[in-house]
Amino acid sequence: MIMPRGEDQLLLPVNPLFVAFTLLVALALNVVPLGRVPAMPDFLALVLVFWNVHQPRRVGIYLGFAFGLVMDVHDGAVLGQHALAYTLLSYFAITIHRRLLWFTVPSQALQVLPLFAAAHGVSFVVRLFAGGMLPGWPLLLAPLGEALLWPLVTWLLLAPQRRPPDPDQNRPL
Amino acid sequence: MPLGTLDRTPPPFFRQGPSALTKLTFCAALALFLMVADTRFTLTQPLRAVVATALHPLQRALAVPVEAWEGGGEYLRGLREARAGEAAARRGLAQQAERALRVEQLETENARLRALLELRPAIAVRSQPAQVLYDAPDPYSRKVIIDRGASQGIVLASPVVNEAGVIGQVTRVYPLSSEVTLLTDKDAAIPVLNSRTQARSAAYGSTGGLELRFMAGNADVQVGDALTTSGVDGVYPPGVPVAKVTAVDRKVDSGFARVQLVPAAPAEGVRHVLVLEPLGLQMPPKPEPVVDESKPARRKGVKK
Repeated sequence: MIMPRGEDQLLLPVNPLFVAFTLLVALALNVVPLGRVPAMPDFLALVLVFWNVHQPRRVGIYLGFAFGLVMDVHDGAVLGQHALAYTLLSYFAITIHRRLLWFTVPSQALQVLPLFAAAHGVSFVVRLFAGGMLPGWPLLLAPLGEALLWPLVTWLLLAPQRRPPDPDQNRPL
Repeated sequence: MPLGTLDRTPPPFFRQGPSALTKLTFCAALALFLMVADTRFTLTQPLRAVVATALHPLQRALAVPVEAWEGGGEYLRGLREARAGEAAARRGLAQQAERALRVEQLETENARLRALLELRPAIAVRSQPAQVLYDAPDPYSRKVIIDRGASQGIVLASPVVNEAGVIGQVTRVYPLSSEVTLLTDKDAAIPVLNSRTQARSAAYGSTGGLELRFMAGNADVQVGDALTTSGVDGVYPPGVPVAKVTAVDRKVDSGFARVQLVPAAPAEGVRHVLVLEPLGLQMPPKPEPVVDESKPARRKGVKK
């Protein structure tokens, strides 16, 4: 495989347990009862897109759909609303995954911003059809927050893969 | 060599299962089906119940640190606030004491008068306390989740109140939790009685509170009127505070007055609530209509 230019280092293979663990942590972050904040970034969508881009063979559309159903039940939303949004999110993440990794991390964030905006847009349209209330302007901040968290998530979730392959006394990690 | 023995497309190097577009089509169609099944036919309650029950331990566990944070703040702010709270509670109790003492006497008097008039005795409402697990984070609706469910005997459509007034109504029951739609939700409606004029009407949820719909432009509604439940719906017990009128906008051209209300019980930040049993379940069954045999039943649409 040609190594993307942005990477300065060959990455270790990912641990599937770590992928599952981060997805569950993201779900837990979404479930923390902080009240009704429309501007709250959707951590689960962020981590799903991240793994869809970096590990499209392991985390795919079906997983996004299943997590979407869980979020629907937690939110008390229309069943299928998050499922549809996450499905589309996963699909577009897989579509752009070959291109995206050639860019630097800040420009990656700029490129995933429309994805998150579209996901929130899908939720919005679904709820307007189902007869929901208008959520107000703070909703526009949510995709922005998700895109701004992209560099942090990249740094955090790739950290285990950046470890040296042969740890010794001087390099324990 | 005959034509057609060679494959037109080379076999794939890596088996990847169905393509992403196929998966997308399948999942999107399934999601659309679920939406229709959920909103139009309400078929998805078992699926919801399963997921909600599986998610319940996680929700419970994550509510603990948030509660500890809030409780810890109160603990540190400490004694002065507790004293102030206690003083306020005592003042409230003193104000209510006189009324509370009279209620006992009035209730016995009421029961005696009802017996005298041969009226049916008033129904005592059964209730059970519950705690709010979390506000549903969905920005398109106004709902809270409480920690009592079908296994504790919560039934669908139960009214939910607190000490200040009506909060909402149970709209979904899971085995271990229930979903309460607040009065300020767009789909919420509640029959009310204006306690000053004794006029009945219906209040609907709207953005930023409630509103009274279909009030005539010259209807007798004033700012500050208190609205209580009317009890005609067979769900809410009569006389529970619902809302106060905050603005009356009588437009000349529209025929109806716009009446804005603010709920008596602020739904945000409520921790403890009381789930009442719907009145309809406690009422005796309706009497059968007496069919007069001598008159032949008139049929609709038959010309004479």
